[in-house]
Amino acid sequence: MPSKISASQVFKNYGAVEALRGVSVEIEEGEVHAICGDNGAGKSTLIKILAGVETPDGGEISIDDRPRQFANPTEALRAGVATIHQDLAVAPRMTIYQNVFMGAELTKSVLGVPLLDKAEMRRQSLSYMSQLNKSLTDMNKKVEDLSGGQRQAVAICRALRWNADVVILDEPTAALGVRETEQVLDLVRSLKQSGKTIILISHAMQDVIAVADRVSILRHGKNQIGMAVSGLTADTLSHYILSGETASAH
Amino acid sequence: MGVSTRQIIERYGTFFAGVLLFIYLTIFADNFASVPNLLNILKQVSFLAILSIGFTFALITSELDLSFAHVCSFSGVIIGMLISDGVSWQLAALVGIAIGTVAGLINGLLVTYLKVPSLIATLGTSSVANGLAFMITGGVAFVGRWDPNFLFLARGKVGVVPLLVILMLIVVVLALVFSTQSKTGVHLQATGENEEAARRSGINTKRCKILGLTLSGVAAGVTGVLLVSNLSSAAPQMGGDFLLLGIAAALLGMTMFTPAKPNIFGSFVGALIIVMLSNGLVLLGAQYYVQDILLGIIIIASVAVSASVLKQAAFSL
Repeated sequence: MPSKISASQVFKNYGAVEALRGVSVEIEEGEVHAICGDNGAGKSTLIKILAGVETPDGGEISIDDRPRQFANPTEALRAGVATIHQDLAVAPRMTIYQNVFMGAELTKSVLGVPLLDKAEMRRQSLSYMSQLNKSLTDMNKKVEDLSGGQRQAVAICRALRWNADVVILDEPTAALGVRETEQVLDLVRSLKQSGKTIILISHAMQDVIAVADRVSILRHGKNQIGMAVSGLTADTLSHYILSGETASAH
Repeated sequence: MGVSTRQIIERYGTFFAGVLLFIYLTIFADNFASVPNLLNILKQVSFLAILSIGFTFALITSELDLSFAHVCSFSGVIIGMLISDGVSWQLAALVGIAIGTVAGLINGLLVTYLKVPSLIATLGTSSVANGLAFMITGGVAFVGRWDPNFLFLARGKVGVVPLLVILMLIVVVLALVFSTQSKTGVHLQATGENEEAARRSGINTKRCKILGLTLSGVAAGVTGVLLVSNLSSAAPQMGGDFLLLGIAAALLGMTMFTPAKPNIFGSFVGALIIVMLSNGLVLLGAQYYVQDILLGIIIIASVAVSASVLKQAAFSL
C-alpha cells in the first residue's frame, strides 16, 4: 500500500516540555490507523500537527510522499486532511444541511442576487449522509435533536463535503453509549469502504480492535509500538500502553 | 416529520396571543380597530421595529447592543444641528445614518479586538452618545423650519398608507431576506450559535460580530432620521424610551417562529404586539405606569422562556 500521510522524526516542544521527541508514523492509503497511548503520550500534539493546528519544531510531514507544512487548519483542509474534534464543532440549533455546508454555503442567482440554494444543499447533504447513515433522511432536522452517533455522522459529512482524503477522528466514541458507539464504528467502516484514509485517536481499545488495520502506540513523546491490529486483543493493547513494553519484548 | 402540539405552541403561541390581544382590544377598547388608529399603530411600530431589527442582528451574533437608543438620539441631534445650520436635509440624513454606522462599528471593534464584553462596550458607547447629544444641544431641542420634503419622510402618505410604514416594510423584507437567504446572514447565525465551529469552518467570526453590531448602529441612524422628520424637532433624549421597548420586542420575537433564536420576523411581530398593547392600554384608560410594569414582565418572561442567546451574550463576561 502506498503511504498517504506520514510524519518523520517529528519534534515539538512547549517551553521546557518535550511533547514529541522524534515520532515517526506512516499511514497507508485507505487504512484505518489508530494512534493510542496514555495521557501525555503525545497523541494530541501529533494530531494537531497533522491537522495544521500546530507547526512542528523539527521533522517532516508528507502527503502522497510530498513534504507539506500547514500553517493553519484551512491549509490542511485544502490538502485533503480534515479533523473531527471531540467536540464535533457543530452548531446544535442549526439544521443538518446548514452544519454540513457551514462556511461553504451554495448559492443561486435570483434576479442577479446570490441567494442560498437550500434545496441543493439538502440534496447534497442527503447524498453524503446516505454513505454513512441511511436512516437519517430529514436534512432539515436540527443537530440538537440527533443522537451522539448521528451528530458524529453530521461532522463526518462535513469532512466529506470538504473532499477530504484523510479524516482524523479525535476520540469519536468518548462519552457515547454502547449503541451510539456501534453507530460511530459503522461510520468509520463506511468511510474506509469509500476509500478514505482514517486516523483514529482513541482510548477505547475495543474500538481500535474493532475497526483499525494498524496501530501506533506513543509513550512519552516517542514511538513505542507500530503494528498490525489483526490478532491483537483489547487487553493486549492496554497491556502495551500500561507497561510500556515493546511488541518484540512482549 | 409531523409537528407536535407543543411545537406549534412554542413556535406560534406568542403570535396567537398577539392575535387574541388584537381581538380583545377590538371588542373592549373604543376606536381601537378604527382605520386612523390602526394606521397610527403601524406608524408607531415603524420606529420600534427598525430599532429592534437592528438590535436583533447584534443578538443573532450573540452580542448585545445597549447603545442603540442613545445613538439614535445622537444621530437625530446631529441631523437637527446640520439642518439648522443650513445643510441640505439629504446630506444631514446621510450624516445621521453614518453616525449610527460608525457607532455600531466602534462597538464591533471594541468587542472583537479589545475583547470588551458587548454588555460593557455598548453601555459605554451609549453613555458617550448620550453625553455628546446633550453637549451639542445644551439640553435644548433643535426646532424651527424644516424642509417639507424632509418632513414627508415620516409624515407623508402614498395613497392612504403612510410612507413611514412602507419604509418599515422595506426594512423588514430586506432584513428578512438578508438574515435567512444570504450567505452572510447564515454566517451571522453560525457565529452566534457556535463561534468556534464557525471559525473552524472558515467563517470570519470577528467580521460577523462587527457586522451584527454595525447593522444595529445603522438601524439607530435610520430611526434617528425618521424620528426627527416625524417630530420636526431633535431632542437629546428622543430615542431614550426605545431602549427597553426595542429589547422587549426582540426578546418577545425570540419566543416565536424559531423559538429561543433571535429572528427578524419575530422582532417585527414583537414590536407590533408591544405598540398594540401600549395603544390599547391608553384607550382602556389604564394608568401610565401599567405599561412599564407589563414591559418588565414581558422582558423577564421572554428571557426565562427562551432567550438563552441573550443570557450567553450578557453573562459571558
